[in-house]
Amino acid sequence: MSELIQLGANRPKVPKPEDLKLQFSDTAIAELEALLTHYPDRKSGILPGLWIAQREYGGYLSPEAIAEVAFRLDRSYAEVEGVATFYSMYNTAHKVGKHLIEVCTCLTCQVCGAYPVAEYLTQKLGVGFGETTSDGVFTLHEVECLNACDRAPLVQVGDQYYGPVDEKSLDALLEQLRQSDTNTVIQMADSIVQVHLADFEKPGGKKVESAKAPPPAATTPASPSRVRIRVEETS
Amino acid sequence: MAELKLLFENAGDPAFQTLEGYKAKGGYRALDKAVMMDRQAIIDEVKKSGLRGRGGAGFPTWIKWNGLPKEKTKPHYILCNADEGEPGTFKDKQIMEETPFLLIEGMTLAGIACQGDAGFIYIRGEFIDAAKALRKAIDEAYAAGYLGKNIRGSGVDFDLYIHLGAGSYECGEESALMSSLMGERGMPRLKFPHAPLPTVAGLWDRPTLINNVETYSCVPFILNKGGEWYATLGAATKNSRGTKIFSVSGHVAKPGNYEIEFGTTLMELLELSGGMTGGKLKACVPGGSSVPIMTAAMCDGAIIGYEEMMQAGSMVGSGGCMFLNEKTCIVQFIWRTAMFYALESCGKCTPCREGTKWMLQILERIVRGNGQPGDKELLLDITTQIDGRSFCGLGDAAAWPVAGAIKAFPEEFDFYIANGKSIVNSPLPMVPA
Ligand SMILES: Cc1cc2nc3c(=O)[nH]c(=O)nc-3n(C[C@H](O)[C@H](O)[C@H](O)COP(=O)(O)O)c2cc1C
Ligand code: SF4
Ligand code: FES
Repeated sequence: MSELIQLGANRPKVPKPEDLKLQFSDTAIAELEALLTHYPDRKSGILPGLWIAQREYGGYLSPEAIAEVAFRLDRSYAEVEGVATFYSMYNTAHKVGKHLIEVCTCLTCQVCGAYPVAEYLTQKLGVGFGETTSDGVFTLHEVECLNACDRAPLVQVGDQYYGPVDEKSLDALLEQLRQSDTNTVIQMADSIVQVHLADFEKPGGKKVESAKAPPPAATTPASPSRVRIRVEETS
Repeated sequence: MAELKLLFENAGDPAFQTLEGYKAKGGYRALDKAVMMDRQAIIDEVKKSGLRGRGGAGFPTWIKWNGLPKEKTKPHYILCNADEGEPGTFKDKQIMEETPFLLIEGMTLAGIACQGDAGFIYIRGEFIDAAKALRKAIDEAYAAGYLGKNIRGSGVDFDLYIHLGAGSYECGEESALMSSLMGERGMPRLKFPHAPLPTVAGLWDRPTLINNVETYSCVPFILNKGGEWYATLGAATKNSRGTKIFSVSGHVAKPGNYEIEFGTTLMELLELSGGMTGGKLKACVPGGSSVPIMTAAMCDGAIIGYEEMMQAGSMVGSGGCMFLNEKTCIVQFIWRTAMFYALESCGKCTPCREGTKWMLQILERIVRGNGQPGDKELLLDITTQIDGRSFCGLGDAAAWPVAGAIKAFPEEFDFYIANGKSIVNSPLPMVPA
C-alpha cells in the first residue's frame, strides 16, 4: 500500500539546466543549424529538432533529450515536452525495443483481418500492445490508418510498410528483423532528418544558390555561442 | 466508363520521376509559359478551369489564390497539405512517390501567381518513401535551376522545403497543420470571421496559400492546355470539373488508386476496381471515414461529383472509397470509426473531446453485447451535440459517420442491442478477442 501513496515517484526527472549533459554529435548540431535556416524563428525547429534528438538518444525522447532540444532552440523544457507528448511518433512514454512493430487496425485493415494479425503477433511475441519483449528486441504498438489501405492488413516497422501481411509473411519478417543489425527505430528517425535537408545543405553537398532571402533571418537571434560554451563546460 | 488518367498518365514510370523524363513528357512547359504571363492571368486560368480543392472540402481553388494580397508587404508562403490522414485515402502518397514533379511544378506555379517566397510541403511522418521521392526530385530541380534563386532566368525566387509531421490526424486540418509547422502541438486556430483568413495571416502571421497535394498537381495541366479545356472534363456534373483520384479499398478484387472523370458513377468505380469479393455489396464509404456511409441502394445510380454525391446522401470528401461486402457488421465498423476519432481528437474543445469518448463508450458496450435500450437514440443525440458545435471540422467528421450509419442501418443497431450480438456473421473477427 505504501508504494501507492508515494505520489510523484514515477514522475520524469527534469534535468536542471546546470546538470545538462549535451549529447548531440557535431553532425547533429550542423543538421539542426541547417534546418533552422528554413524557418523565420527557432521555435519552428522543435519538431525536426525532436527527430534529431530521437535519433541521437537511441530512439527514445528521455527528459534529457527533450531538455537538450529546448536548450538548443532557446525554448522552455515545458514547451518542448508539451509538443513532444502530443505526437504519437515521438517515443516519450517509454523506451521502445530495437524494432517497433506498428499494427494498423483502422477501418480497412479491420475489415481485411487486422485483429487476427494483431492476435497472432501478441501470441507469437508474448507481449501486448505498448509492451516490449524481454530481450528488448520488439515493441508492439497499435496505430491508426497508415494510409496505404490498398495493402491492408498492414504493419509498419521503421521507415517501411509491409502489407498485406499474413502469418507466414509475418514469421519471415520477424526472423529477418531478428537477424538484422539495424535498429529500425533509430534508422527511421535518421531517414526523417535526412529528407528535410537538401543535397546542398548536407556536408560536402554541391553548392546551389537558394533564394533564402525571405523567409527572413531568425527573429530570435541564433545563439551558437551559448551552445558552444555549454558544450565546452560539459566536455 | 474507363479511367481518365491525367495526373497518373505516367505514374509507375521510373523515368517520370527524373527531371529529364518529366520534361520529355511535357513537364515544366507550364512553368515556361507562366513566367511570361501576368500573375492575374494565371489565377484567371485556374478560375476558368473550375478546379476545386481535393483535400476534402471542395473549395474553389482560384478564390484562395486570388486572396493573397496583391500589394506585397510581407513574405508570402505556399503551403502543401500532404498530411493525408483520412482513413481510406492513399492518393497523395502515390502522387508524391510516382509523380513528384507534378506537385513541385504546381507549387512553383502557385509561387509565381501568388508572389510566394518559399513553399513548404508538410508530409505526415509515416510517409518516408514519399518524402524521399520528393527530396530526390527537389534536389534535381534545384540543381537545374527550377528552384532557388532566379528560376530559369525569370527573376522569380522560390525555395521549397520538406517538413515532416510526427503522427497526428488533426494536423491535416489546415490551421492545426500551421500550428504544427510552427513548432506547436497540432491544435487548430481561431478562424474567419473571428480571425483573418490564412491568405492574409497564416504561417508566422504572413499571407499563406494552403492546398492539397492533388490540387497543386492539377495546375500544370490547367496552364498547359488551358482552363477552358480542363473545364470540359466533368462537364456532365453540376459543378465538378476535371479528374479525381479515388483510393479504393476494402472488399474489392483490385484495391488501388483510380483516376476518373467527374460524372463517372460509383458503380463504375467499383467495376474498375475489380468488383466485390467475399459477397455482394452491402455498404460504401465513398470519401474517407468522415463521410456518411451509403447502403447498396444509395450507391445505385450515384454519380461522382461534389453536389451529386451530396444528393446521393454522402460526399466526395478526400476520395477514400471503401466498399464493404454483405458479411461486414456495420455496428462493429462504426465502433472502430468512433475509436479513430476519439483517439485523434486534439482535446481543445469539449464537445469533441468528451463527445467522441462518449460515443466510443456506448458503441463499445453495444459491441460487447451489453447495449441498453435507448442507446441508439442516445448516440444520435450526442452526434447533434458535436456536429456544428466543435472548434474544428474533426468534431463534425466524428459525428457524421455515426449518425449516418444509424440512419442507413437502423435494424443492425436494434438487433445488436436487443440480442447482444451482431446480425451478421463476419468470417473475420472485427473486434479484438
Ligand atoms: C480533421 C481534418 C483533417 C483533415 N485532413 C486533411 C488531410 O489529411 N489532407 C488534406 O489535404 N486536407 C485535409 N483536411 C482539409 C484541410 O483542412 C483543407 O481544407 C485542405 O488542405 C485545403 O486544401 P484544398 O483546398 O486543396 O482541398 C482536413 C480537415 C479536417 C477538418
Ligand atoms: S473539434 Fe475540438 S477537440 Fe476536436 S480536434 Fe477540433 S479543436 Fe480538437
Ligand atoms: S486502415 Fe490500415 S492502412 Fe488504412
